[in-house]
Amino acid sequence: MKEFDWRKGIFGVLLCFTLTISGCQPKTPSQFSQAQQESTQHNAAPAVAKDATQGSEFNKFFPKAQSGYDRVYTQEKKGFAEAKLNKDGKNVAMLAVSDTKSLPAAAAKFQNATDKIAGYPSVDLGTTQTSVLVNDRYQVKVISKAPDFDKTDRVSWIEKFDLKGLAKLQ
Amino acid sequence: MSKSIFELVDELPTGGTTILALNALDFVIPGQWQNLTGFVNTIKTVTGETDEAMVQAIGDRAVYLYNDESQGYQRAMWLYQTVDNAAGALGMAAMANKLGQDISFLGFLDNLTPKPEKAQSIDLSIKMVVELVAYCQINGIPGDSIGDFLGALGDYGGESLMRMVALICFDGLIPLGPGFIDKGLSSLSNMTPNELEGNSSFKSVSSLIPGGDTAGKLGFIGQSFDSVSGWMRNFVAEKALTQENALGNLQKFVKVSGDKLDYVGAFLDVSVKYYTHTGTQTLARRLIERAVAEL
Repeated sequence: MKEFDWRKGIFGVLLCFTLTISGCQPKTPSQFSQAQQESTQHNAAPAVAKDATQGSEFNKFFPKAQSGYDRVYTQEKKGFAEAKLNKDGKNVAMLAVSDTKSLPAAAAKFQNATDKIAGYPSVDLGTTQTSVLVNDRYQVKVISKAPDFDKTDRVSWIEKFDLKGLAKLQ
Repeated sequence: MSKSIFELVDELPTGGTTILALNALDFVIPGQWQNLTGFVNTIKTVTGETDEAMVQAIGDRAVYLYNDESQGYQRAMWLYQTVDNAAGALGMAAMANKLGQDISFLGFLDNLTPKPEKAQSIDLSIKMVVELVAYCQINGIPGDSIGDFLGALGDYGGESLMRMVALICFDGLIPLGPGFIDKGLSSLSNMTPNELEGNSSFKSVSSLIPGGDTAGKLGFIGQSFDSVSGWMRNFVAEKALTQENALGNLQKFVKVSGDKLDYVGAFLDVSVKYYTHTGTQTLARRLIERAVAEL
């Protein structure tokens, strides 16, 4: 009878042990795991509301290119449209319109707004974003991308949108 | 289930052949591409945001958007991944044994088959069309709007522009030489729908190419490639790109031989997944830009 080689036996046990530990150790859950789980479960609400306005509807309310500034449309999705504002070929800000039907929390933040721009409630988010809520539904936001594009610029570009036209959009 | 967007971005490599090969193209667009990896890092870099609660909110919204299948983001990811894998499928088995070893072209030589010029030309045009279709899936312009895409190409920067530089160099100039655009155009104009159906790159992504039947899809591919050819010609001229300088810079980073260029193309197909890599980066950036604007 062949003698049992204890070294091979130990090696096998150790190997199994190592594989078990390294293979089955649960990964630290990501800080985004909850969002992942909620948005992929069977009856998850879609990220974009079915009756959200098409982004193409928003385009005509964007400010036009003017005096040294270029406007380049970048995204046009259901419930969302965005354009880059470039000066001398450099991106200085992002201009966006979104339908808060998809994200009621975005509209809720205006409830306690004390500032107004062109008569619409306005809020700042962080140090680079200013937005208004039009017709209790459409958020118009300007985000600074260059350090010298400040709050005054953001307010002035929000005023350049056709906000009245947007307010009539059903 | 497919992977989450944050896993895909967190798992983007910071080294390896793909990154070395893309870095080799820095000479074309100096400093314009940084290998941005990690989901939180991408959020912070794209938005300039440092507030943790805001970063969390942006990331959560981006995850929701990606998982809403009606929004097309997952189709774009699938396109980027599939077109990369189709091109390299043949050599993959041979590669498996070599991974992790020194990146040496000569070591692969025995296991690679040079791709016929016609197949390489078709791959080039399919990849260009995939870029157009994925662009529309991500940004939302109707799928056959070639004119809008051409306007957008002029505004490409960062990882999107790097993907186009890699397309021109790795799938055009290096394997096909300076006449790569005309070779692509003539291959397409001489191609029958039956031949196209036999092309593995086309087969893998054909379901998302507009045009209806194969003849219609062939028409769409030809029209798209023809429209983009002007942009490519200008870009090559403006950057003074040649087969020699593309290959010369590649050789500084990856050991590839210059005397068997068709093999170099096959090597790049197998080991450089630049559509998946930069496509994931583009998609993450667009999702994050949208999320921050919607919050």
